[in-house]
This record gives sequence, structure tokens and C-alpha cells, in this order.
Amino acid sequence: MPETDLVLFLEAAVRLGVPLALAAMGEAITERSGIINIGLEGSIIGGALGGALGALATGNAAAGVLAGAGAGLLVAMVFALFSIGLRTDQIITGTAVTLGGLGLTGAVYQARFGATGTALTLPTLAPMSVPGLSQIPWIGSALFDQAPTAYLSYALAPLLWYYLFRTAWGLELRAVGEAPDAAQAAGVRVRWVRFWATLFGGALAGLAGAHLALAHAGTFAENMSAGRGFIAIAVVVLGRWNPLWVLVAALLFGAASALQFLLQALGLDLPYQLFLALPYLLTLAALAGWVGRSRAPAALALPWPKER
Amino acid sequence: MSRNHFAVLLFALLGLSACTGQQDAETPGTFRAALLTAGPVSDAGWYAGAYEGLLLLRDSLGALVSHQQTRTPAEFDEAFLSYASSGYDLIFAHGFEYQDAAMRAGERFPNTTFVVSGGGRFADNVVPLIFELEEGSYLAGMIAAGMSRSGVVGMVGGVAIPPVEGTFLAFEAGARTVNPDVQVLESFTGSWDDVAAAKEAAVAQLGRGADVLIHNVDAASFGVFQAVRETVAAGGTAWALGMNRDQNDVAPDVILGSAVIRIPESFLETASTWQTGTLGGRPIYAGASEDVIDFVLNPQLLDVVPAELVAEMTAVRELIRAGELTVPRVPFVEGEPGVR
Repeated sequence: MPETDLVLFLEAAVRLGVPLALAAMGEAITERSGIINIGLEGSIIGGALGGALGALATGNAAAGVLAGAGAGLLVAMVFALFSIGLRTDQIITGTAVTLGGLGLTGAVYQARFGATGTALTLPTLAPMSVPGLSQIPWIGSALFDQAPTAYLSYALAPLLWYYLFRTAWGLELRAVGEAPDAAQAAGVRVRWVRFWATLFGGALAGLAGAHLALAHAGTFAENMSAGRGFIAIAVVVLGRWNPLWVLVAALLFGAASALQFLLQALGLDLPYQLFLALPYLLTLAALAGWVGRSRAPAALALPWPKER
Repeated sequence: MSRNHFAVLLFALLGLSACTGQQDAETPGTFRAALLTAGPVSDAGWYAGAYEGLLLLRDSLGALVSHQQTRTPAEFDEAFLSYASSGYDLIFAHGFEYQDAAMRAGERFPNTTFVVSGGGRFADNVVPLIFELEEGSYLAGMIAAGMSRSGVVGMVGGVAIPPVEGTFLAFEAGARTVNPDVQVLESFTGSWDDVAAAKEAAVAQLGRGADVLIHNVDAASFGVFQAVRETVAAGGTAWALGMNRDQNDVAPDVILGSAVIRIPESFLETASTWQTGTLGGRPIYAGASEDVIDFVLNPQLLDVVPAELVAEMTAVRELIRAGELTVPRVPFVEGEPGVR
């Protein structure tokens, strides 16, 4: 592979990995609290539309990113009110939120921009080159000539790791996800912690959506989240609920996706479905070989309190 | 608990109903037409054209119209059932994927006529409407090869279904008539709506030296146009071509022209034939000679396309219209050579 191909491939890998990393790191925090938010897809598409509308309204991409995070948070709040507040089944509620999110964003988009759609011209988040670091051979431009949202994901991974494993708040969050009854007995407000963990996950998924619309595609299209919410949930498992590994897993997944486009453009005479399956085969292999030794938070997906 | 589940379902229904635009009204004497799409009509392309077609039936023929977007193949039968059983006369199912469900529905509802865009099977009341988009795509290939400085052009597709493979085959053939040595790259993303994936597929092709890109996806086409725009913004030279609908105004700064299906006019023609009672039992072929397929240059970029190239393309278009030139396609309709 010539050097330029490799550099282009690595750049694409990071571009495709960043939205997964943001959404999956948020979901890792949510799952650590014992809540599995299948409605992540709804937060991502909400964040994409919120980001697009926010950027259009203010003429400022950064404001759009904030609006996207807010939209993702609002979608997650719907999920939290039902699944934590009313103790509904988390899987069913999450599915409903995903379907509702995809439908509502489509309706809003068509109402605002016409039923037949168009490619919006949005203020976009331009890549920002980090002086020095972006000059590193091979990986410099891939890692350090990216949109600001990429740097946010690099920064969040260690911060969230520190929060989870080195602070009292992180300990509370994990206790709520492993043994909510014991946590409550120790004076932790279980539902309150879960509520905020879910909103945080939604806000990061919204950021992922805003990244898709403002830093990647430069436009909004219905269904543009294209299943990334579900892939992010797999990335959480692949990253063993640890934000640092989640970032690595997301970039790995991005690399597998980028590889399929490179291989197709190289004109290899193989069925394209083989390339499309690549990221998923990788996930299966990783799950079988590596995550086998890990386990999910013990109270994950269980409504709490059990009786009332 | 059941109360809570009910609340959840209500929320889901709210979301789902938001994306189905039912526009019923009871007036006697008119007919009812419905449209099924497997993706959002806001794609400024394949589905958008069909939606415009449905509205044309309402405005020109006074039809009572309704549109539904099916989200999964499991909903195909359900959608046919709901329309046919509530008295819809003419149902346009806009896509190759509907053909088997349409055949099942056709057997069950003999008084309803099912038109399947790009379908491959037919019965007395199931009619494939075959858009010979290859003819437009062939002309697009000529423009692409004529405009390429690098001698490399690219195609980004969603899923390799026969109608899409046909357009790519013809694009390549058209390109070779202008430059026999042209290199044609082909990528599929597996999704019609994934803008980011289509953009990365386009970026990878541009990185391999391609400088004119065509697509056959739905809303994901925005990603192809965006990739070309970014190449231009970075000081490079690249162009895009539209497909399925006149997309010249979707990204007027980079789209040289579009291989167009005049879907609304074709739907109107089909509905008029149905009104005369002669629709059914055989596929409808709609191509350049019926003025359904065309290649439309972007008026805003006319000055960048050499006049000789335009003249060459126009001459070939006349040959195709007159039936003197047959464009290669991938056969997929029952009774065509090579199809069971």
C-alpha cells in the first residue's frame, strides 16, 4: 500500500470512528449505572438534526454542536422518564425511542425543508490541525488534523476513566449498576444517579450526531445515523465498559469501515458484501476472543426497585 | 406495568405516524392512489420523484392520494394489505424490493392494480414499471469521461440490485465511447441513506485519482456531493453527476448534469393507461424514446463543458431516442433474455 493510501485510510478511520467513540463512551457510562439505552440511535439522529438546525439558526457550527448535544439529551430524557421513572422494560422503551426519534426527526426535517429534501449548506466544523503533532509521519494527520469533536473524544476517554475508577462519584455509579439495593442502603440515590448517567449518555450521542451532520457529512439527511447507535452499543461491549478501551474499539471499528472503502476503490475483484461485512466479522472475532473474559454490570437492564 | 407499556407504545406510534402522511378525504367519483417507499421521500432523488408523482396524480387526475414509508420488508405485505383492503385502486410500490410482496397482494386483491417500479415479475394486476435509466446513465458516462482530466471516474452505489448494476454498466460503456482507456471505479456502501459512508466511499475514490463521480444511492448522494465540494474547496478539480431525478440544484456548484427519470410524468401516464382499462399483464418500459429518461446538463455549469462534448452527447441521445442505439443493461424482468 503506497504511503498516501495508508494516510488517507487512517484519516477515514478516525473520521468514521469518532462518532462511534462519542456515542459509545456515553453509553458506557449509562450502562455502568445499570441502564441499557437501546434508544441511542434516536439520540444520534436527534443530535444530527438538532446540530443542523442549531448551526443554521446561529450561523455557527459550535453552537450547532451544543444544540445537537441538547437534542440528544432531550431524547434520552424521554427514555429515562419511562424506563427509570415508570420502570418500563428498557429494551422495549429503547426501541420505541429509536423508532420515535427516526420518525419525528424526519417529520421535522420535511416540515422545515420541504418533503422532497435537499442537500443543506451548513456551517461546518472544519478540521483543526494541531501544530507539531499533525506532522508526525503516517498517523499525524489522521489523529491530529481532525474536527474539534475528535479531540473532545480523545480528552473524554481518560477523563471518564478517571471519573469511573478513581473518584467516589464513579464508585457510586458503578455500585448502582452492580448492586442497586446495596447502593441504596449505603445512601446512594439510585434512580437519580441512573437518570443523570442516561442523560449524559444521550448528550454524548447527540454530540455524535452533530459530528455526523456538521463535521462529516456537512448536511442532514433522514436516517443518516444508519444504525450507528446499535454499533455503538456493540462497541461498549467490545471496549469492556471501560472508556479507554471503548475509544480504542471505536477507532478499530472505524478502521474496519474505512478499509472496506479503500479496498473497493483499489478495485479488488471480490464481492463487495465481503468488505461490508468486515467490521462485523471483526466485532464477532473480538467478542469471542477478548470480551469473553469480561462481564456486564450485574444489574444491567433490570428495572429497579423490583417491587414497589 | 401494562399502563406503562401502553404509554411507551403510544410514544412509538406518535413517532411512526409522524412519518406517514395520510391525506385522505372522502369524495365520490374519484379514484384512490397510494405510494409505498422503502425510504424517506426527502432524498431529493429516487423517492422524492415518486412523491412528486403521487402529488401530480392528485393535482392532474383528482386522485385521492396517500403515502406510506415502509421501514422493514416485514411491513411490505402489511402496507399492501392496508391500502388494498381500504379501497385503494392503484398502488405504486416504488422499488425492486416490493416485487414479491406485490405478487402476493395481487393474487389476494384482484380488483387493485399494483405498479412496481423496477419490478421483475408481473400478473394481470401487477405491473412492473421499468425505467430505462441506463440510457441516461450512458450519456452521463460520456460527459464523465469527457470531463475527466485524470482518466479515472467513479461510481458510488447503495446495494448492487440489478437496476443499479445496469446503470453502472451503462455508465462505464458510455464513458468508454469517449475515452476507451478510462478507468472506472465502483464502490457500494450497503446503505441508501448513510451519508457519511457514501462520502467516505467517494473520498476513497477521489484519493485514487477519480475526478468525476456518479452515484446511485438515495439521500446518501449528499455525501458524494459533499466529498466533491471539499476536494474543490481544497484546491482540487472534481465534478459530480446526479442520478434518478434532476439533482442539478441540489449542489449546483459541482453537479455537471443529471441522469433523470421523469417519474411524475411516468406515473401520470401509467395512471391514465389504468383509467382506460388497458394496464396490466405486461411490463411497461419507459425510456428516452418515451421522454421519461434523459440527461440534463446543469445550466449553471454549461460554460465548463466543452461544446464538442455536449454536441457528441446530444447526438448519441438522439440515436437512443430514435431506437438506433441500444444501451447495455442488466436484464431482470421475466421474459427478458437470461431471466427465468
